[in-house]
Amino acid sequence: MNRNILVLSMLVLGGVLTTVGFIMAFFFTPPVLGPAVTNEAGRILGYQPLFSQKIFYFHVPVALSSFLVFFFTAFYGVRFLMTKEKQYDTRAKVATEVTLMFVILTMATGVLWTRFEWGRWWVWEPRLTTYFIMTLLVIAYFVLRNSIEDEERRATYAAVFGIIAFIDAPISFAITRIIPSSVHPVVLRSGGGLTGSQLAAFLIGLFGMLMIAYAIFNTRMREELVHDRLEAVKAALEG
Amino acid sequence: MTEPATIDAAVEVRDLTRTFGARKALDRVSFDLPRGAFLSVFGPNGAGKTTLVKVLTTLTAPSKGTAKVSGFDVVADAVELRSEIGLISHNPLLYPDLSAEENLVFFADMYGVPDAAARVRELLVAVELDHRRLDLVRTFSRGMLQRLSIARALLHRPKVLFLDEPYSGLDPHAVEILDHLIEQIRADHTFVMISHDLAKGLALCSHALILAKGKVVLSAPREELDEAEFAETYRATVGLGVA
Amino acid sequence: MAGEARGLSLRQFKAILHKDIVMELRTKEMITSMGLYALLTMVIYQVALSQSGTAFDPRNIAAGLLWLAFVFTSMLGLNRSLVHEKDQGCLEALLLSPVDRPVIFFAKAIGNLIFLLIVQALTIPVFAFLFLQQGSYAGEWWMIPLALLAGAVGISGVGTLLATMSVNTKGKDFVLAVLFVPLMYPLLLAAVSATSAAVLGGDGSVQQFWTGMGMMAGFDAIMLLASFALYEFIVGA
Repeated sequence: MNRNILVLSMLVLGGVLTTVGFIMAFFFTPPVLGPAVTNEAGRILGYQPLFSQKIFYFHVPVALSSFLVFFFTAFYGVRFLMTKEKQYDTRAKVATEVTLMFVILTMATGVLWTRFEWGRWWVWEPRLTTYFIMTLLVIAYFVLRNSIEDEERRATYAAVFGIIAFIDAPISFAITRIIPSSVHPVVLRSGGGLTGSQLAAFLIGLFGMLMIAYAIFNTRMREELVHDRLEAVKAALEG
Repeated sequence: MTEPATIDAAVEVRDLTRTFGARKALDRVSFDLPRGAFLSVFGPNGAGKTTLVKVLTTLTAPSKGTAKVSGFDVVADAVELRSEIGLISHNPLLYPDLSAEENLVFFADMYGVPDAAARVRELLVAVELDHRRLDLVRTFSRGMLQRLSIARALLHRPKVLFLDEPYSGLDPHAVEILDHLIEQIRADHTFVMISHDLAKGLALCSHALILAKGKVVLSAPREELDEAEFAETYRATVGLGVA
Repeated sequence: MAGEARGLSLRQFKAILHKDIVMELRTKEMITSMGLYALLTMVIYQVALSQSGTAFDPRNIAAGLLWLAFVFTSMLGLNRSLVHEKDQGCLEALLLSPVDRPVIFFAKAIGNLIFLLIVQALTIPVFAFLFLQQGSYAGEWWMIPLALLAGAVGISGVGTLLATMSVNTKGKDFVLAVLFVPLMYPLLLAAVSATSAAVLGGDGSVQQFWTGMGMMAGFDAIMLLASFALYEFIVGA
């Protein structure tokens, strides 16, 4: 019962915080200046406020959350391989579901951002590419699960793939950044770091998003646990 | 390598349980099997026979309880245990694109059999396949495959042999050959056989075990069994098969 | 005792590798199917490039085209190499023997590496003959083989793990592709970059080559270690 209240309050609080963060982003943070015109040679002719940058306060918290939740796929995968207890497989599966939701949100906001920043819907930019690959890995995780009948084998394979995929994601990020590519435009920003109000809006958004992730994870887990208990009762009745 | 503590028990199973989530493949299974015995394990599909053999051959770890084969624990001494056991399955477990001899040499290497060539030759003669030793296994008849797979199982001189429905899919002639071969090696080995065939299983065994839904329904030496009663018990379990 | 165990592991490793090579020499199944597949890919490339005009120099995308061919042929080969083990339940027989599971992993991975390298060695000259007649190769001669090797090591290592999984699933080759391509993405990106630097040359190409090689080496080291550590769970499930 206590757990229920916690999950519910996390959901409400997460909703409030993300909203507050969002409002702060629009009304209380100074705009970021970007290059007004960047010509072919990359020469900057002037600066203008970047309205599209506001998506940063939503996009980055979602992206960070998705990676953090993906960590739990790998973590519960390791736990499963150590214990062979079904509950860890269920946890890993639910964590991956939440990851899927968040990577899709990341992709969607990322695409919107590139549209306004570069005037194109899609740019093979390192972060976006990494999230594209991560989306594919998460989808692959579910394809793998669905193609195995035996419950225990499914759990073991999924755990191993979850771990490998989680290791692969940062490598993917590193390599896309380091390998030179001649196609995408270079975006220059004036200054670095965040001012106080920017940081506050960002952090509030991030915590809100993590709370929402936690609440969704737990709600889905409860559903799975009820389902498992039902199966156990069925099995007991038959035996 | 330490000598096993209990010399006379070939297989020792205590409260063996194998669960995954709500599903119980094995539920507190216990039995003993003396050396030189022949155990037939009966039960409907999904009763846990295959899981039992998988645990005893170290392919699957138990969730609870212990099992020892030839004195070696299935978890702690898995590697030593594997050298003590052989498996004859309805699947030949041979590579079709290798010759009979190449197959046996390959498995002799896997088991670290000393003086492999001589041992392979000896077994090929014993199963009367010496004249076909250079032929690809792909070209072999079902009966020849079964004979070669017995040779494969015996390569490393195992003490306990597991038979996983070895008679399924065999023609009467091949059954005769297999009977004869098992008779020959009967004296120096302990056997654990999974069987669907009640008559065949009972005829061969010295001990019988019936599993249903992962539980032991009946476990007794052959001479204590009343055949009619046994058949009745077995039939009752078939109704408990997979839903 | 430890020395004895190591001796046995070595004997087992050699036995598995020897068996795979003998079987392949006998059936030529993998080399033929992979080689033919690579040739078919070349035909598709010709179609793809047919409207690009005379001004277009295929050298610019040669590295990408080559690795594309290797990705698809290697998936074909990886799938085959594990189907052999699965067909007659032989993998079970292997697991019943007193063999350390990593020995199986290394033997299968090295076997796959050898077959992949052979296919690469056959594909490269054909590709060069068909597409790279005009224009010359800019890098040092050893650059291409080195890049191919680094890429092939990662492909066969992780690929062996993935193929051992996919062979036990309902949609064998489809599942392998779905798992394989996104996992291999960083390796392929680095491989294409290094190979491209070798083919095209120019300012900074040596540095680009070594950056790509470093990335590949890093990927290979991390992913091979992970595959090696996790193989036991997969093969035993």
